[in-house]
Amino acid sequence: MDLSQYAELFLAESREHLSACNQLLLDWERTPANSAPVGGLFRAVHTVKGMAATMGYGRVTDIAHRTENLLDLLRRGSRPATDELLQLLFRARDALEHAVELSVVGREDELEVVEVVADLESAAALLAGPERAAPAPPTATAVVAPAAPGGGRLVQVTLRAEAPLKGGRALLALKRAQALGAVQGVTPPQAGFESDDFDGRFSFRLDSSATAADIERAVRAAGDVEHVSVGGGGEERRAAAPRGGAAAATAAEATPEKSRHIRVDLRRLDELMDLIGELVTVRGRLNELAAARRDPAVDDVAIQISRLSADLQAGIIQARMTPVWQVFDRFPRLVRDLARELDKQVAFRVEGKEIELDRAILDELGDPLLHLLRNAVDHGIETPAERRRGGKPPEGEIVLAAVRERASVAISVSDDGRGIDRARILERARREGLVDPHAEALSDDQLLRVLARPGFSTAEAVTSVSGRGVGIDVAVTRIRALGGSIDIRTETGKGTSFVLRLPVTLAIVRALIAGVGRERYALPLTYVAETVEFGVQPTTIVEGREAIVLRNRVVPLVHLRRMLGVSGDAPRRCPIIVLEMGERTSGIVVDGMLGQQEIVVKGFDPPQGTLPVFSGATIMGDGIPALILDAGGLV
Amino acid sequence: MSHTVLVCDDAIFMRTMISDILAQAGFEIVGEAETGSQAVEKYRQLKPDLVTMDIVMPDMGGIDAVREIVKQDPDAKILMCSAMGQQALVVEAIQAGAKDFVVKPFQPSRVLEAVQRVLG
Repeated sequence: MDLSQYAELFLAESREHLSACNQLLLDWERTPANSAPVGGLFRAVHTVKGMAATMGYGRVTDIAHRTENLLDLLRRGSRPATDELLQLLFRARDALEHAVELSVVGREDELEVVEVVADLESAAALLAGPERAAPAPPTATAVVAPAAPGGGRLVQVTLRAEAPLKGGRALLALKRAQALGAVQGVTPPQAGFESDDFDGRFSFRLDSSATAADIERAVRAAGDVEHVSVGGGGEERRAAAPRGGAAAATAAEATPEKSRHIRVDLRRLDELMDLIGELVTVRGRLNELAAARRDPAVDDVAIQISRLSADLQAGIIQARMTPVWQVFDRFPRLVRDLARELDKQVAFRVEGKEIELDRAILDELGDPLLHLLRNAVDHGIETPAERRRGGKPPEGEIVLAAVRERASVAISVSDDGRGIDRARILERARREGLVDPHAEALSDDQLLRVLARPGFSTAEAVTSVSGRGVGIDVAVTRIRALGGSIDIRTETGKGTSFVLRLPVTLAIVRALIAGVGRERYALPLTYVAETVEFGVQPTTIVEGREAIVLRNRVVPLVHLRRMLGVSGDAPRRCPIIVLEMGERTSGIVVDGMLGQQEIVVKGFDPPQGTLPVFSGATIMGDGIPALILDAGGLV
Repeated sequence: MSHTVLVCDDAIFMRTMISDILAQAGFEIVGEAETGSQAVEKYRQLKPDLVTMDIVMPDMGGIDAVREIVKQDPDAKILMCSAMGQQALVVEAIQAGAKDFVVKPFQPSRVLEAVQRVLG
């Protein structure tokens, strides 16, 4: 049987179970006296074992088996967790994860499992106590000579040597025999069947008028029977063991399962998404043609196609939506491990686990969040002693939260640690010429810009400015590439919070189409707050930048024409597209508005020297490409 | 008429594999259950000719599910799916009324042999 077709399913499901194990271990660690998580751990590891054995992954099976043994002992003893045990179980879980990943790609041989297996063994031996430490003497040795006296015919049975779980098989044989008459004098006593030492030889007396052949047939029907002898009348029969031929049932067509869930390879969804993207593009062209033709019949069809493809698109996007816990779930363990390593006390809380994001976006979030969380533990949260001195509880808190906003999802990483030392960053930023040498203070916004500069996280920065630069450039770049933004808020002594804002889906977005010169540009509606008219609104100068005031808010302006170096004059009156990203805002001045439409986002690698204000490209309804403006680069 | 089967296992992987093995041999998979209590409920609804039952499942385990199902239908034909090292549990399941068992890792031929014995 070809097992490779099951490998992906095995991998996906094993990962889920192992992720659950992490959570359960963390729960147990938090309340060691409550051994409720052990049952769940046992089941998860047991399931992984069964799947791995089926796939033929011997090492995964081996580690899982020993872990399961240990968990079984713990479960039955209802023991509290000790630190040592938890460390061992965490290690075993990690080893399992590693083994699963390697096995699936055919690199099982590279695994080094001896140490963890040995530790699991000795822990289990210790728990099992002296009475179980030495293997019990085999109970079946006395069986061969049937001792059972009494009426009926003596039936002696030997199971096949390779038969698994012989006790169960023996019991089935007894049940078959019972259908023919009363069974007594079972040797070894039935309780012996439950022992792992049962060697598959047993005997009993059967009070039945059935012929020896019938008795033998009945016993053999239990399966895995090597030899049966039916005595009594001195007769002993021995028949050739019929090796069971496979599958008696004739192959009919496989009927579809009636399960309500199926797993779909993400690549299939991507392909579908691409197709829908093309459909949306063609739909745009059809709409344009229909509008030009003014034929009601064509209009009708165009409208229907629009509606259907919109439904189809919504359906596919929905199918791609994945709850954030699929990425968040690995962080509690990470934060715990890191805090331990650094001798800090951290309570980690996750909120909004069920919020959904496009799978493609979610997959990209792991790294940036990892950097931010690592920073929070390493540089944000103080040591318990330092916290006490500052009048705080010794245990710090880190919160990872997802919140759905209008067309975006905000994910925040907040700590209640020491905050970022602005004065130091400012000093350094001045020295490196990153800010005006006379600048008195750094706003949150400037702070982030400075921190996110790739060169900023130097070794010196790590010691002198509490290393806040580490990885932030990575996070900012990644989030921006996804069409999102990062904001930072920090207060000395109170903590730091990073907020990531991301579009809910990447693939298809509604965008404003704006004209500048002869080109068209698409601006995703995700961050568009409103449009106002330039030339009507009075402008003013704030901090050296041209701006308008909208409802008491200063909105700095960006003239796209100037920024893109388009020659010629702008129209006297033209629209301003007001973008809002968290608390930042900016007004984009364009030549004209050409309407709204759905665009299919194609990522692109901008040529060297391109302004960092484009996040991708799209094909318009007429087949001509347009660049997509990156809101994050404009505000 | 092909025999109908209810497949009970908490792992999709296992359910898929058992379903594939049986479907290829001409059985009709009429339902799946992820927990013991689902198994009991679906048995009542579907009255399948055969049940494959994992032993370790969340909520209600496979052995308790066997007891419940046999209480409803003493003739229920239940095939236990067990793992190595579950001797005592398999014995308990048989005493509870399971008709046969297979041991993971499954070999299709062994599964089908067991099924034939149960339906025999």
